[in-house]
Amino acid sequence: MIVTFTRNRLRIMHRQGVTAGTVCVMAALTMLAGLLGWASQRTIVGVYDESVKLLAQRGLPAPPNPFLLKPQLSMLSNMSIYVTMIGALVAVIAGHLAVADDHSTGTGRLVFSRPVHRQAYATAVITAPAVLLGLAMAISALLSAVAFTAVNKAVPSAGDVARLVGFALLSWVYLWLFAVVGSLMLLATRRRSLGLLTAIGVWLVVTFAVPQFTSGLRPSQSLNPIVDPVSSSQTFFKVTQRARPWSIAEQFKEASGRILQTAPTETAVHTIGRVAPIVMALVIVAGLFSLVIARHDYARSMTDD
Amino acid sequence: MNQTTAPAIELIGLRHSFGSVDALRGVDLTIGTGEIFGFLGHNGAGKTTAMNILTTLIAPTSGQAKVCGFDTVTQRASVTGLIGYLPSDVRLYAHLTAAENLEFFARLSGVTNPGKAALETLAYLNCSELADLRLGTFSTGMRQRVGIAQAILHRPEVLFLDEPTSGLDPMGVRQLRETIQRLNGDLGMTVFMNTHLLSEVARVCTTIGVLNQGELIYHDTLDATMARFPDEATLEDIYVRVGSA
Repeated sequence: MIVTFTRNRLRIMHRQGVTAGTVCVMAALTMLAGLLGWASQRTIVGVYDESVKLLAQRGLPAPPNPFLLKPQLSMLSNMSIYVTMIGALVAVIAGHLAVADDHSTGTGRLVFSRPVHRQAYATAVITAPAVLLGLAMAISALLSAVAFTAVNKAVPSAGDVARLVGFALLSWVYLWLFAVVGSLMLLATRRRSLGLLTAIGVWLVVTFAVPQFTSGLRPSQSLNPIVDPVSSSQTFFKVTQRARPWSIAEQFKEASGRILQTAPTETAVHTIGRVAPIVMALVIVAGLFSLVIARHDYARSMTDD
Repeated sequence: MNQTTAPAIELIGLRHSFGSVDALRGVDLTIGTGEIFGFLGHNGAGKTTAMNILTTLIAPTSGQAKVCGFDTVTQRASVTGLIGYLPSDVRLYAHLTAAENLEFFARLSGVTNPGKAALETLAYLNCSELADLRLGTFSTGMRQRVGIAQAILHRPEVLFLDEPTSGLDPMGVRQLRETIQRLNGDLGMTVFMNTHLLSEVARVCTTIGVLNQGELIYHDTLDATMARFPDEATLEDIYVRVGSA
């Protein structure tokens, strides 16, 4: 039953263009991150080469190439921002569309007048966007490896591949969370436009509002992939800072920084600790979604606004 | 009760409330196997609520609803295996073809060979040409035919139709009437139909019931009804008289 539902959802999302759209967006973001990484490296190395020549003419020693001091994966650091800023929004829309048809066209009534378990249905609705986002992140990881090879003129080492896969998995969990939020909000509000707006509201709060309280990050600072929280001297913010481990957007950025080696190194246990709140949030939202499905009244007309 | 000898549909003191609004106020009704039942009533009379209970979409506030002897709440799985349902404004999945839609619903109903069942059902309804077309391109009449196909794919014992003529042109109404009669005649399906179209009820139904403000105010066979009101020329006149009484 779950396979039947999931396959049907995926087929519909494919026909709606959601699959192609999601994959294209994530592929474009990956290529953009790679392009920016390549451009910045080319510019800095160009300046460095000129400097080396000038220094040699003056008989001065040349400093080391700055790019040799940086981890090679850092060229993809912008991806951690693209995932939280654009990828999460795309995931919200994918999650929204995963339940929209049954919600607004009355097909939910046909489904539940058959010998169908609501939990099987809920599982499928959660699984379908996960498969779709998994595909998008797999392609993104592949493109990242290609970009890495092109920029560094060397194939990624096994460790780099593991880090790329780790980042893709982390991004997949993060995006999946927002896809479930998209589905949940549509069912909870019973209106398509309100459901989508509410889910986007959740994204805004998680991405911009919470970091402002927990780290004093202004919205524009949230656009920076570098993890450098601003410490606040005000008592109120000193209290709210304690909630920082639960700021999932920041934890995602921190964990991504560690995986892509753009942030100071820490033990794997610490990094897994940063991922835990994201996984917990996913489990909680998925549980809420199952509860809402179990109680949802599919007999009532839905608002197709 | 032995389910094989049970009535097709049985409502016992059925009540349902939406907050402070009573949609059904203790409805008692029995419909025998093989009947074509026309459920009449004004908008808001409670017809769709009764159908939602019978199709297991909602649970009654009190009382019981049974389909072929199975309780719609405590024996939901048995009931859903025996019924087919066509809601009034169903649109199915617009991005899928008719065959894909039907195959999906056949799988949900546990049909052994879903693809074959989908094509056979379309052929039975004389609309095989729709199989490979996407639902999004269909007219109301075409959609209604595929809607009926999804309702009868698994050869249900009882077929529920909610305002099935809504939005259909006269040709579509005639085709639907013939389809209902064929389903009843060929496959022995009991048909429970909510409708406003009294002329169609007069032509196709064997039994009628009239619901008014959540109460069943009339229930009899069509022949007995016509005989009971000899002064009324049409079913519409009878309906007005029963309703005003």
